[in-house]
Amino acid sequence: AAQDKIIIKFSHVVAPDTPKGKGAAKFEELAEKYTNGAVDVEVYPNSQLYKDKEEMEALQLGAVQMLAPSLAKFGPLGVQAFEVFDLPYIFADYDALHRVTKGEVGQMLFSKLEDKGIKGLAYWDNGFKIMSANSPLHTTDDFLGLKMRIQSSKVLEAEMNALGAVPQVMAFSEVYQALQTGVVDGTENPPSNMYTQKMNEVQTHATVSNHGYLGYAVIVNKQFWDGLPAEVRAGLEQAMAESTDYANSIAREENEKALEAMKAAGTTEFYELTPEELQAWKDALAPVAEEMTDRIGADVIEAVKSASGS
Amino acid sequence: MLRLLDRLEEVLIASLIAAATLLIFLSVTHRYALGLVADGVAFFRSHGFDGLSALAKTSYFGLRSVNLVWAQELTIIMFVWMAKFGAAYGVRTGIHVGIDVVINRLEPAKRKGFVLFGLLAGALFTGTIAALGANFVWHMAHASAISPDLELPMWIVYLAIPLGSALMCFRFLQVALGFLRTGELPHHDHGHVDGLEDGVEEVGEAILHSPLTPRDLTEKDK
Amino acid sequence: MSALIIFGLLVALMLTGMPISIALGLTVLSFLFTMTDVPIDTVALKLFTGIEKFEIMAIPFFILAGNFLTHGGVARRMINFATSMVGHWHGGLGLAGVIACALFAAVSGSSPATVVAIGSVILPAMVAQGFPRQFGAGVITTSGALGILIPPSIVMVMYAVATSGMQVQGPDGQLVDSASVGELFMAGVVPGLMLAGFLGFTTWYRARKYGYPRLAKANLAQRWTAFREAIWGLLLIVVVIGGIYTGIFTPTEAAAMSAVYAFVVAVFVYKDMKLADVPRVLLSSANMSAMLLYIITNAVLFSFLMTSENIPQTLGNWMVDAGLSWWMFLIIVNLLLLAAGNFMEPSSIVLIMAPILFPVAVRLGIDPVHFGIMIVVNMEVGMCHPPVGLNLYVASGITRMGITELTVAVWPWLLTMLIFLLLVTYVPAISLALPALLGM
Ligand code: NA
Ligand code: NA
Repeated sequence: AAQDKIIIKFSHVVAPDTPKGKGAAKFEELAEKYTNGAVDVEVYPNSQLYKDKEEMEALQLGAVQMLAPSLAKFGPLGVQAFEVFDLPYIFADYDALHRVTKGEVGQMLFSKLEDKGIKGLAYWDNGFKIMSANSPLHTTDDFLGLKMRIQSSKVLEAEMNALGAVPQVMAFSEVYQALQTGVVDGTENPPSNMYTQKMNEVQTHATVSNHGYLGYAVIVNKQFWDGLPAEVRAGLEQAMAESTDYANSIAREENEKALEAMKAAGTTEFYELTPEELQAWKDALAPVAEEMTDRIGADVIEAVKSASGS
Repeated sequence: MLRLLDRLEEVLIASLIAAATLLIFLSVTHRYALGLVADGVAFFRSHGFDGLSALAKTSYFGLRSVNLVWAQELTIIMFVWMAKFGAAYGVRTGIHVGIDVVINRLEPAKRKGFVLFGLLAGALFTGTIAALGANFVWHMAHASAISPDLELPMWIVYLAIPLGSALMCFRFLQVALGFLRTGELPHHDHGHVDGLEDGVEEVGEAILHSPLTPRDLTEKDK
Repeated sequence: MSALIIFGLLVALMLTGMPISIALGLTVLSFLFTMTDVPIDTVALKLFTGIEKFEIMAIPFFILAGNFLTHGGVARRMINFATSMVGHWHGGLGLAGVIACALFAAVSGSSPATVVAIGSVILPAMVAQGFPRQFGAGVITTSGALGILIPPSIVMVMYAVATSGMQVQGPDGQLVDSASVGELFMAGVVPGLMLAGFLGFTTWYRARKYGYPRLAKANLAQRWTAFREAIWGLLLIVVVIGGIYTGIFTPTEAAAMSAVYAFVVAVFVYKDMKLADVPRVLLSSANMSAMLLYIITNAVLFSFLMTSENIPQTLGNWMVDAGLSWWMFLIIVNLLLLAAGNFMEPSSIVLIMAPILFPVAVRLGIDPVHFGIMIVVNMEVGMCHPPVGLNLYVASGITRMGITELTVAVWPWLLTMLIFLLLVTYVPAISLALPALLGM
């Protein structure tokens, strides 16, 4: 009977047609299939039930069972090791990234969530970030005086400071209008976010710097997870593994498509750094990791660096 | 003792609204000043005044070392605290709005019953929230979460809910007791609070007749 | 079914006369506790996070600014300026009252505050000039309502907050974002000026018909002096609207800047307020803000219950299945809001109704910004008619007229507003042209 089903409320803060939204829908489909209908996944997109700032507490209270928050949310939870993902130029490319997120280091980081009552299941990519503004961004001198929007993060704050900009914390939903009116001058985003929020319409220049990574973790309430029958858990794990590959491949595709579409739209001039400029960016941003070592932990940074092979 | 609590409540909420306003004023001014100095750097550089450009650049980094990234977060926290304790103060001043068109048509004895019911319902709701909030804060204290920018422990930030609600519950009971004794409810009288001499009587009188002001039952018989 | 229980409980509790915020909170608590498996602790979480948003903070800032302005001599100087410009036309002081209300509305976010600020100065003057009291009361009660249509506007912030973050599917299945405070502010400019024109016309027409007094025409020097005295107040319009439009501030920052500016003007420039009065202004602003923020938190809780019971979606499906077209829906919304205006003040109405009506409106193809402006105009009308009409009560206090007498007095202007409401409802371009022109 329907009431005997195990209900998993999966809440997230983005639209259903984003890579994360599609990944969640895929998980819903596969989870119900692989558990032979023992589980009913209810996906709540668009912060319908819980907003960005409250979903983590809602998970800990057991009001929802599953979330896919941005990795930047774990620092404020008291697990600052996750801030390693925000470090500039820490992953050379997707392969380097996946050697971490799909390997032991990823699991080691997840284990740090357990005494918060949280179990990490998978890492979902959003993509590598590019820098945008209303003036060319070739050298660090170009950042001087620019008000750059970031999400709350000590690492991103240090990153913008290292470039010479003025970091401004602002909610994602307010960014478009702030860019349009000039309250902030620029921001950093993976191309797909920039495109879906139409930020290319209000930014004249962008540099394809791929300087940082934006990703999510799919997490569950640990008590709920541990209480599931073993065969159900196995079914869900399989569903999660497949939807992770699905979500990641969509994310990558969408980023490529978005970049092409924005270039075609012509409202933004896209710039590729020369090798010398790229090295200058890396040099300017190198102190960020040192500055953040005490927060993140030297061992964590070392582990990520050696696993990713960079 | 009670008077001390009243004073504390008033000083707390008035200071919070003033501090939040000043903080945002400072952070906007700071941001604007940074933009100006950076424009100065570019201007001097493009006109070949290298010395002045370097000087402007130094002052830019000096100014930027004043970090106000946390201003927005602190403003929000201050306002949430202001809102929770201000709501308790509002019970004392009778500012919370109700629909009184129906009960105002009842005979005085029945109306008195409804007013008491409303006050006790307020005490019940805020008392429940105080208990739930205390439980929530207790859980948060164990979760060791911190606010993203200021890195304040979240349980201290959330403490506004149980403390504010408990105070509000107390105020509802206080007003209910006063109403039982004297049959009077607190008036919300803008004119008096604003404390301005000329033309205030009229304005205060006007607000007195507003539905934002809980009806005094004795006055209603007119 | 659950919708009936929830609304039945809410209405029953509200009719007992308890504060609306408490009625909302108790409805949510009792429903969640008895009928759902939502952990009750989330209520405490929602009560904190419900107002944990920077855009909401515009409300206390605008209230503080308004309180500095109301008693800070700004209103009086705006009236003098308006009188020097149009005092010699038919309706003289009355017309000046409309313009002064529009000017004050451009610095204040609240309607009753506008009635108090302008009315308490100009109404005694009108009576002294030989206008019937009814005429003056009618002009100011209705023109004061411009306070929430001409930006800044607390009711617009409430609407933006109540629908914030909602992404709803439009008629073709595309996702539509809710309206931002900035867009709504810009959208209010044209309708605000238009309504001011309409009310001014009604005032002029009736004054000419009944031969009410006109003032001597002010000469250029007098006009210049009046303008120079009013300039500090008028500059605030530039600070708020210009500041938001040019991107120096976000709406919330503009609100904070205007509070600081109003404080400086009231205390140090016009010197109509003493430094010793400031703590009391702070306290009364905090009191009013906290009351509104308390309604917001409980309304957010209520709208969480609505969403978690899927009520807006069910209502939307039902209306679409019933074949309702957008214009029929708008009539229903107008009637519903006008009816609600009989019992509640605007903030509560917007906070409770907007999250429910907004998804339906978007599905029927109505623009979120246009829908917001329409709701604001509805609220304006509601403030000017009995039994509950904030502006009426305030005007009654100033003029010492009874509510019944006032109701008769306002009807020509109220009728003007109703015609304007129809226009705003069915001509979206009035609201949308300016934001579109500005590329918003
Ligand atoms: Na206004
Ligand atoms: Na009304």
